[in-house]
Amino acid sequence: MASFIIRRLAQALVVLLVMSVLVFAGVYVIGNPVDVLISPDATQAIRQQVIEQYGLDLPVWQQYLQFLQRLLTGDLGRSFVFNMPVGTLIAQKLPATLELTLIAVFFASGIGIPLGVYAGYRPDSKTSRLIMAASILGFSVPTFWIGLMLIMVFAVQLGILPAGGRGATRELIGVPFSFLTLDGWSHLILPALNLSLFKMSMICRLAASGTREVMLTDTIKFARAAGIPERTILRRHVLKLISIPLVTVFGLELGSTLAFALVTETIFSWPGLGKLIVDSITSLDRPVMVAYLMLVSALFVVINLCVDLAYALLDPRLRHGKN
Amino acid sequence: MTDLLEVRDLRTWFHTDRGIVKSVEGISFSLRRGEIMGLVGESGSGKSITGFSLIGLIDRPGRIEAGSSIRFGGRELVGLDERELRGIRGKDISMVFQDPMMTLNPVLKIIDQIGMAIRAHEQVSDAEIRRRAVEALDRVRIVEPERKVDQYPHEFSGGMRQRVAIAIALLHRPRLVIADEPTTALDVSVQAEILKVVKSLVAEMGTSLIWISHDLATVSSIADKITVMRRGEIVEAGPVRKVLDAPRHPYTQALLDALPSRSQPGELLASGATEAAGRLDPSKLSGTAVGAPADPQFIQIRHIDKLFQRPAGLLRRLGMQLGLASEPARVHAVKSASLSIARGEILGLVGESGSGKSTLGRILCGIIAPSAGTVSVGGEPVMQGERKRGTKVQMIFQDPFASLDPRRTIFQSVAEGPIVHGLCTKAEARAYVERWLRAVAFDPALANRYPHQFSGGQRQRIAIARALAMQPEVIVCDEPVASLDVSIQAQVINLLMELRRHLNLTLLFISHDLSVVHHLCDRVVVMRHGEIVETGSASEIFHAPKQPYTRMLLDAIPRLAS
Repeated sequence: MASFIIRRLAQALVVLLVMSVLVFAGVYVIGNPVDVLISPDATQAIRQQVIEQYGLDLPVWQQYLQFLQRLLTGDLGRSFVFNMPVGTLIAQKLPATLELTLIAVFFASGIGIPLGVYAGYRPDSKTSRLIMAASILGFSVPTFWIGLMLIMVFAVQLGILPAGGRGATRELIGVPFSFLTLDGWSHLILPALNLSLFKMSMICRLAASGTREVMLTDTIKFARAAGIPERTILRRHVLKLISIPLVTVFGLELGSTLAFALVTETIFSWPGLGKLIVDSITSLDRPVMVAYLMLVSALFVVINLCVDLAYALLDPRLRHGKN
Repeated sequence: MTDLLEVRDLRTWFHTDRGIVKSVEGISFSLRRGEIMGLVGESGSGKSITGFSLIGLIDRPGRIEAGSSIRFGGRELVGLDERELRGIRGKDISMVFQDPMMTLNPVLKIIDQIGMAIRAHEQVSDAEIRRRAVEALDRVRIVEPERKVDQYPHEFSGGMRQRVAIAIALLHRPRLVIADEPTTALDVSVQAEILKVVKSLVAEMGTSLIWISHDLATVSSIADKITVMRRGEIVEAGPVRKVLDAPRHPYTQALLDALPSRSQPGELLASGATEAAGRLDPSKLSGTAVGAPADPQFIQIRHIDKLFQRPAGLLRRLGMQLGLASEPARVHAVKSASLSIARGEILGLVGESGSGKSTLGRILCGIIAPSAGTVSVGGEPVMQGERKRGTKVQMIFQDPFASLDPRRTIFQSVAEGPIVHGLCTKAEARAYVERWLRAVAFDPALANRYPHQFSGGQRQRIAIARALAMQPEVIVCDEPVASLDVSIQAQVINLLMELRRHLNLTLLFISHDLSVVHHLCDRVVVMRHGEIVETGSASEIFHAPKQPYTRMLLDAIPRLAS
């Protein structure tokens, strides 16, 4: 196990290094930030001074090495636009996004898995067909439209939930969170639901097909022949047997939700990372873009490592390293 | 009231969209307390469905039809609701299945699986569960039960897993156990042990047992009486002795005649399926081996070693240098094996699972490269570096369902190889393929169909035609009859014998079924843990084995009591 983790961490380092090259090169070709940063009527001297100040006159590879050097010391650079350290900037916005996505993903699994298991357990019942049809709707209707509809119905028509914002927050270990207050929850529930619908449908369908397959195996027949109640069979046998693909998708979705909660955050004016990254792209704020993309790759790497460790936890055959 | 179980006019039908499938059609039998009944039949005879009907596990669209009656201990089981049936399952009637790899949940500890089965019918404490789990494993003679209960199924061998399944089935001391082909997936020696354990446990507990199997020999070694089923109906029933010695129904007689152990080695087996398939037509067949001179050293296998090992990665090698990591695990599948096969000979290669027999067969065929040693056929090496040379050696695999591409027609599957290797042109392919299909008594008119439209026996004949179409001199047969019913098995064995005679083929016949090997093979090689332990003519091996291991294998063969 230890050698497995070491190997994975070594791989992760390589991935991050490659990512840093790609990100840096990619951002470099988007455009020259100088054109955006400096007003067009500035003198050539000022132009030159700014360019030198940010090190933009150096060749690309030197800029990259400088960036890498700073990265290793934990310095992500300063935002051109906000003129503050990027680390601080991201740290301000990250908790809101983290809160929203975690709650969305837990909604997705908490509702999606039970519905899916039921639909797979009784594939012919009316309820199951309804669940499966709704799940197709869930991942084919665009997120932004559902978001708008949610606001229309719950905020405009019924007026029971707010249309946007974070609401009242309370601090936990020095960071403000919405889920600790009732008002925060009322602000959280619509965006979280909106963000989770796609994932919920996917997890639901995955759980349904897994359950259908597992229910036909001899393992289940043998359990039934031993007189074990159906509820125990579903809880103890089926859930464990279908868990591996579910964990895979859970991990992938957690990563992509964290990275791309953008649309939902925009619709519900959720003050998260999404807005920051869009702003930084339009203003060509290179350090923010680079830091954000590096953060996302690091998150994916960490989540995938956790997923692999979860496999070993769930399936004893993988734990021993041999089949 | 002496009968524990009384089945009257049991009909289990499956109401599918395409009509009603009458899997079990009006069968009646009874079973006394402590009696063992063997339920025999070929695939599709309804024997397993009968077992599932008794325990109330018929899934929709199947159902037990009105008018059927299953009286168990005086109580009518047909028509009970799900809750009442669940109360009986595992407590009064329990069931053991064929594949022990599939029945236990791979991600749950043994103790948890036993615990669930106990709690299905009783409220007990965790300590009591542990005590009873250990006791249950001990009862099926698993050593160190205290340690084994905390392990997962993959840490057990196939035979041990089946013992665990039996232990679970016996937890509540049921009055009836239904065993559905419980030893079919196991090696002969393991099968013999399981039979012994089950026999003594059943006698000790006074449990009645229904042993469902396609294998008359196994059944006759355990059962008091035999019931033979065919197409959902009982064709014959009676005490073991009577059914075996004086079968009244022609179907029972046919089943017995198809057994290789009941006829003279080397003779064609009586097989209705062979006759039904029609005559095979070996005319117009060319083969490079026809008329070739005798050569006692035709195939030479010299000091073959095969080591399976994952290559160590960069980090691992670094770790090994520093003494932090160990070498990747390796499996020594074949250890310095040498043997020669004469032209036109059928050599049997026997051994238990994991003995390396399949690996050796694949090396001869040139599918995998040996770690050391050489293989030559007719003086020429089979492999050149990592690549196979020529088409002289072909292979037939165990599972005809898996070895044919489901998305290609029979014609496409058979024609591919010969066209690629220039044995025929695309234009001639149709006629060429038809010739080889006729050679295995397969109607060429069906060549445009897909594999799923054929039965197991037909598919295996197609697989043989595909191998033959490459005009090989040697065919490696890896358990070609292991998954087939006895009558189909007889048909395939007959086919192989006929083809050998007509085409002067040399066969390496890999099998764990010693009675088939005895019938078919001229010489036999016994393998164990990758090593060849004994070689000799078939009669030497079967009548005067020298090695204790060979003797143990022979003793484990279930025989028809005579």
